[in-house]
This record gives sequence, structure tokens and C-alpha cells, in this order.
Amino acid sequence: MRQLVLATAADEGEDEPAIHIGTHIEWDVPVLGTVNGDTVISTLVAGAILLLLGFWVRAQLTKKTDDHVPTKLQMVWEGLVKYITDLVEDNLGKVNPFVIPLAIALFFFILIANWLEVITTQRSHDAHFLTPPTSDTNLTYALAFMVIIGVWVFGIRENGLKGYLKHFLEPFPALLPLNILEELVKPVTLALRLFGNIFAGGIMLLLIAMLPSYALWAPNVLWKLFGLFIGVLQAFIFALLTVLYFGHAASHDSHDEHDDEHDEADEKTPVAAH
Amino acid sequence: MAVSDEAVQLAGAFVGGGIALAGGAIGAGVGDGLAGASYIEGVARQPEAQSRLQVIFFLTVGLVEAMFFINLAFMAMFVFVLA
Repeated sequence: MRQLVLATAADEGEDEPAIHIGTHIEWDVPVLGTVNGDTVISTLVAGAILLLLGFWVRAQLTKKTDDHVPTKLQMVWEGLVKYITDLVEDNLGKVNPFVIPLAIALFFFILIANWLEVITTQRSHDAHFLTPPTSDTNLTYALAFMVIIGVWVFGIRENGLKGYLKHFLEPFPALLPLNILEELVKPVTLALRLFGNIFAGGIMLLLIAMLPSYALWAPNVLWKLFGLFIGVLQAFIFALLTVLYFGHAASHDSHDEHDDEHDEADEKTPVAAH
Repeated sequence: MAVSDEAVQLAGAFVGGGIALAGGAIGAGVGDGLAGASYIEGVARQPEAQSRLQVIFFLTVGLVEAMFFINLAFMAMFVFVLA
């Protein structure tokens, strides 16, 4: 992003404006050109935290307790995995062994990446070290395009190329341009939704930082709490929409069959259902 | 007193950004309010559906807020980049 300058924040007679929006530490890398360095560092930090959490959870879960009572962490983790498995099953019609870990990994990675905005770091006057990587469009576009390419490959593998192209004509053939447009707009909205939320949070933090120090603690705490909530919400929405897009790309027939199976199960066990 | 071209461009950019923000805020407010109203009505009719409806509610809120934030990104583009 080009350097955005907040003109109104400059004091009279100063050359440098008070805050810079959208500046990144830039590295010149031989093959790729110019790369936003702070996004790369934050992505690696978020990935490292995620991997450490993963290994720690696995170590905790494979511990053997004396009377085989599940530990609290095991119950929380199993509840989460069951919730996502039910979601995937509702949407895809069957448990797909690939979509569940993808959804959970996306959720936790985006969650940690969004929560990095709570840690204040500053490397120099203009640049911050641990900016949340999702406040850079590069990362969010990369995530969204990986997801949408996965959805396309999954759809083509499930239905065959002809079957997948035919589902664009699904409700009415006249809606073909709208369906194509919807398919192309999906990754853009996925990326921009996540980017906009976190970027706006970052701008607000910069504006709050311009207040005098005796007054800034209150809006700082409030805005960061709100930012934590928005981080969770946006991560959840990204993962949920990923699962929904995979479900939409799968064959549409299985959805109707699954509804019938659900009704039969409910008749047999009305009390124990759900 | 002649008004310079840059002044007109700057004024136009600020007004455009303001209108974009206004439309976005109104739309997001109305959309979130409608989603919340439907959620409350659904829970009032059937309290045990609360947790299932909550997922759909948060999904709708997230999608509505996404429109607002895309609006915000365009406002930032108008005010900071194009002027």
C-alpha cells in the first residue's frame, strides 16, 4: 500500500505528519521484488505460536490419566472438533477428512493473527514490528485465494469437470452471469472483510495513541477488548464461510438425502435427538 | 478569489468519503438491527433454539459488518490516496 498520510494530524510548522497509515517495513527480496517485512515476521510468529499450541495440546491429550477420566482440555478440544464436524456434515453431507482440519487450522491461525494487534511494539518512529498480518491485504488475499482454489479443486474432484460447470446453470440458466460473478467475488469479499475489520482497528489504535497519556488508557483498553471480540468473530466467519463454500461446491443431491435421514432419526429418537 | 484545482479535488474527496461513511453506517446499523430483531423474535418463539440461531446471527452480523468495512476501505482510498 502506498504511504497514506494523515494530513490533518500534522501540527502547524512540522514537516512530518503525526501518524502514518499503511506503511510497512519493506525488504527487497531477489526473486519476489519488494516484500512487506513486518507482515512476513508477524505471519511467522503467528504460525510458530500455532504450531507450539498444537504440539502442546497433543502432548496434553495423549497423557494417560489414572482412571481414564477425560481432562478438561480434552473435553474442550473434543467439543470444538465435534462442533466443526457436525457443521461440515450438515453442509457437505458426509464427513470429509480434509475440510475439518482446514477449518480448525484457519480459525486458529486467523485468531492468533488478529490477536497480535493487542501487543504494542514499535521498532522505529514509523514502523511497528508485530503488526497484525491480517491488516495487510497481501496475507488476506493469499488466504482467500488458497481457500477458493481448494474449493474449485474439491468441486471438480467431487462432481467431475462437466458436473461442476453444470452447477452454474443450477436454478435457472439465465442466472449464469450472476453465478459466475458470485464465484469470482467470493475470494475478494473473504479477503476484504477480514482486512477491513483488522485494518480499521489498527487505524483506531493509532488515533487513540495520539491522545495525551493520562487520557488514553481508557479508550485503549475498551478498544482493545472490542478488537479481541472482532478478532474472534472474523476468524469464526472466515472458517465458517470456508466450510459453507466447500459444502456448496459438493454435489447438491446429497443435501436432500441428508435431510431425509435426519427426519427419520428424529422420529425414532425424539428425545435424544440433537 | 479563484479556487485552485487542488482545493476542489481535496474538497470533493472529503465529501465523497463522508458520504461513503454515512451510507455504510446507515446500512450496517439497519442490517444489524434487522438481524437482531429476527433473532430475538425467533428465540422468543422457541427458547431452545437459541444456540443454533446464535450461530446464524453472528454469521449475518459478520457479513453486514463486512460491507461496512469495505466501505471504510474505499473512504480511506478517497481521502488519503486520491486526494
